[in-house]
Amino acid sequence: MDMRDLVTGGAACAVPGSSSSSSNPLAALANTLIGSSSKIQENKEIPTSITPSSERQIYTETNDHLGGLDQPFVDPNAPQHSDFLRGFHGSGGGGGQTELDAAWNDIHHPPPQLDHISDTHPHPQQPILDGPPQRMLSSLLHSFVDSSRGGVPFRATPLPVLGLSEGDKQCIRDRSSIMARHIFADKSEDFINSQVNALLCSLDIDGDARAKGPLPGRFRELEDYWNESQGTLKPGFHAADGWVAEYNQQRMVHGANGWASEFEQQHGANGWASEFEQAMNCFAFKPSTYSQLTSVDQMRGSNISSLAAMEQTRMLANTLAQNDDPKFQNSKFLQFVSKMSRGELIIDDNQVKQTALPAAGDWASEYQHQYNRSPAWADEFLSHGPDQWVNEFTTEQEQHGPVDDQWVNEFSKLHVHDWADEFGRQVGEGALGENSTDNWANAYDEFLNEQVTARQRSDTSRGVYVFSDMNPYVGHPNPLKEGQELFRKGLLSEAVLALEAEVLKNPDNAEGWRLLGIAHAENDDDQQAIAAMLRAQEADSTNLEVLLALGVSHTNELEQAAALKYLYGWLRHHPKYGTLAPPELSDSLYYADVARLFNEAAQMSPDDADVHIVLGVLYNLTREYDKAIESFQTALKLKPHDYSLWNKLGATQANSVHSADAIFAYQQALDLKPNYVRAWANMGISYANQGMYEDSIRYYVRALAMNPKADNAWQYLRISLSCASRDDMLEACDSRNLDVLQKEFPL
Amino acid sequence: MPVFKTPFNGYSVKFSPFYESRLAVATAQNFGILGNGRVHILDLPPTPSSPFVELASFDTADGVYDVAWSESHDSLLVAAVADGSLKIYDLSLPPTSNPIRSLHEHSREVQSVDYNPVRRDSFISSSWDDSIKLWTLDRPTSIRSFQEHAYCVYAAVWNPRHADVFASASGDCTLRVWDVREPGSTMVVAAHEFEILSCDWNKYDDCVIATASVDKSVRVWDIRTYRTPLAVLNGHGYAVRKVKFSPHNRSFLMSCSYDMTVCAWDYMVEDARIGQYGHHTEFAVGVDMSVLVEGLIASTGWDELVYVWQYGTDPRAP
Repeated sequence: MDMRDLVTGGAACAVPGSSSSSSNPLAALANTLIGSSSKIQENKEIPTSITPSSERQIYTETNDHLGGLDQPFVDPNAPQHSDFLRGFHGSGGGGGQTELDAAWNDIHHPPPQLDHISDTHPHPQQPILDGPPQRMLSSLLHSFVDSSRGGVPFRATPLPVLGLSEGDKQCIRDRSSIMARHIFADKSEDFINSQVNALLCSLDIDGDARAKGPLPGRFRELEDYWNESQGTLKPGFHAADGWVAEYNQQRMVHGANGWASEFEQQHGANGWASEFEQAMNCFAFKPSTYSQLTSVDQMRGSNISSLAAMEQTRMLANTLAQNDDPKFQNSKFLQFVSKMSRGELIIDDNQVKQTALPAAGDWASEYQHQYNRSPAWADEFLSHGPDQWVNEFTTEQEQHGPVDDQWVNEFSKLHVHDWADEFGRQVGEGALGENSTDNWANAYDEFLNEQVTARQRSDTSRGVYVFSDMNPYVGHPNPLKEGQELFRKGLLSEAVLALEAEVLKNPDNAEGWRLLGIAHAENDDDQQAIAAMLRAQEADSTNLEVLLALGVSHTNELEQAAALKYLYGWLRHHPKYGTLAPPELSDSLYYADVARLFNEAAQMSPDDADVHIVLGVLYNLTREYDKAIESFQTALKLKPHDYSLWNKLGATQANSVHSADAIFAYQQALDLKPNYVRAWANMGISYANQGMYEDSIRYYVRALAMNPKADNAWQYLRISLSCASRDDMLEACDSRNLDVLQKEFPL
Repeated sequence: MPVFKTPFNGYSVKFSPFYESRLAVATAQNFGILGNGRVHILDLPPTPSSPFVELASFDTADGVYDVAWSESHDSLLVAAVADGSLKIYDLSLPPTSNPIRSLHEHSREVQSVDYNPVRRDSFISSSWDDSIKLWTLDRPTSIRSFQEHAYCVYAAVWNPRHADVFASASGDCTLRVWDVREPGSTMVVAAHEFEILSCDWNKYDDCVIATASVDKSVRVWDIRTYRTPLAVLNGHGYAVRKVKFSPHNRSFLMSCSYDMTVCAWDYMVEDARIGQYGHHTEFAVGVDMSVLVEGLIASTGWDELVYVWQYGTDPRAP
């Protein structure tokens, strides 16, 4: 099959666990931003603009000053120094004055000669740059920011998944917490907390105690209570703004003081914290549950739930709107924070979550269910006393599956009573204002609506093909032929309709489904492509093209296990290589095994382009782009006229930040198939990646002229227009006025 | 004067103490929240109309929050990286040999690095792990760690006269003055009610120090009479990110802020704010004044731009 280009945009492949047909454009943007990750390698090869001769001269002169001042490198292990150093290090807390003096004086000698330093550390390890997750993140951040300009909402439907590592999440968590305190200094601590937490929630990152706590005591009222109940915690700078913050901080505690560590002592370090973490993974996007966990915050007007935080964000938006300075209105950073906080970026179906959830498939409906009943909960919450709430909380938790039971029980045993009392006190004081509740419920409703589209999306993600509503081709005498014709012309969206008519007519037509899948893939909708291909596979379970296409589509979606399954299926059903693939292996597929088998197949018949193509796809799965490029190039030697193969090569090159090479590859694809919309758009992406926005605009416009329904291309175009400061054309873009755009940006 | 566009968000800019036209810029991707970093080494062009010459750039796996030129070797600089490491780069060596050192002791983001201007053999780093560390070029481990602050230490700067004295600004709302020969800090100044993001010593009076805070103010202190500030400089609309005393004028200082402006102050006059520059379109987070050319100012911000201009002129003037 003509697999849809590996990466419409670029970085999609790069992110583990990302579902991203729609975020690809964004991903592509990222390449520009993260360019360095692989450019580092290049930098090493390419001489920088320093001309070695002249620079060396300066340098030598400098060294002359230092002549004879050579000093041996201090080896910390050398006996004569180790004592000294130990003494020094040990003295920080009040060691002997003389020692310190001596040490300080000891180091006071002329600087060592540089060559010496270099010799000692001839080639220090260059840091390994984290590519993929960051790639996706920055694409999201920036596309977000860009799409926010001019008021066109970032599409709520695409819910890209960030393969953020724990470390990345930690970074975002910590840094955004700390920065928010600088930026939103005017706002209350509650506000800042909710900002940060909304941001974290949007990114599916749990709040964490390791994050730096809030500012030194601005709110003390609950701290005494807390200390009293604990008897252990000393008020200090980290003790922060009272009980609630403390609770929030502590709930993910790893080695902090207070009850969590007490608990750890009782139950072992991994007991509570890890269970809680799991639970949080489950519930990060079930705000009703989540809110309950933090309802004490709720009462103070601060809360961790994304929903209530959105209300807070609206306040921020208002505050910002009140600032007349247009610079603030345009600040990408503020827009970013605000957008993120508004929950417009939702990370759905994270891999972590899938593992934590008992049944991932049920998640969406459960999710919806949660939303539906949430406002009711808010009412209940108000009318019931704290004890009942605790019970309810516990029961509700239990409904969510075994993961949480233990935690809830333990939690209940632990401090729920204190908490409930505190809660009651707050209610008594009327801390829970009418307004906040109302707003909060409204926020729920609003969020609920936003989720409807999301839910539709998740239906697709479960492999259900969604047909178009109005289809003029229904009743067409030969929709398949029509569809093939339209597809050849590059009118993908039309082809999709015709092919849908075909498969409605003949649901068992594997070819119809297959072509439909391809059309969707080329039209940048991998979810639909997968759904169609699954139907094609149902109709014909051993169709090699279908298996390969499914493998590629899942690779695009970064669903490694599924991709492996189909690629392995391809091998197994292949007449030539079937013998290589032992059927028992299909139960437990590991990347290494599959890759090995395909390498064997490649050795068996080095002239089979298809094997090299699959290898290229496999390498994309593990982001070994150099190898992937090599495989595709080998395949291209055998199949130089496969336009989709050129496009795959280009996409892989773009992924590995060889955007300039990618342009050449796309050009090849276009020479072979001038109406290859996808390649035109990809070309635009590659130009945009290199910062050549004007050029990218021309290519997007060209692609759109051929297929005005390519929604993603409109988004890329919008981003490039913003980046090129062509705000004057944004209106034409928003109204999809191709005439104006084509006149302004002829290719 | 020319403008340089950095691919990432600017975090810090520093003039070389050896070459009047050279500067280093620390940048971080995604506003420093997550992503890579890069240090740019730039030379001012001979004529204002031509673009900056980028001598070299060094990539890092995490954002670069600050950079400091060596006071002893014209080609050496130290970068403070968000992953907790300090990287030492040697411009005279090819990129493959760089960084010549990676010092990784801080457990959290390193926010500032400052080279000792008197002894010229050591530098200090300050980190979100609440500590300050003292380093020399020739040792693979830090000489000493200063651990008293209760929150992120956003800046640590050497006293320009006394080789052993430095000050630190922290999110715990204190300014601390340290003597390397002493086991603990010698002075704790509760300088602001809010986090202190930056501090800098006066280059003419070794007892005068300025602090910049989230409370939007810059305060100037005499550490001999530290109970009340010598001056409170109001005028920024948001947290003040960095403050810097002029190397050429005893009462002149520059600051930059989350209000996206760079301000010039004379703390000894009544209307202290003598200049405000709105050339950045995102948070202005880095500012420096050249030691070698009087009145030459550089600034950078999250708008990914580096400006260099002569005091009294418009940074945006071509």
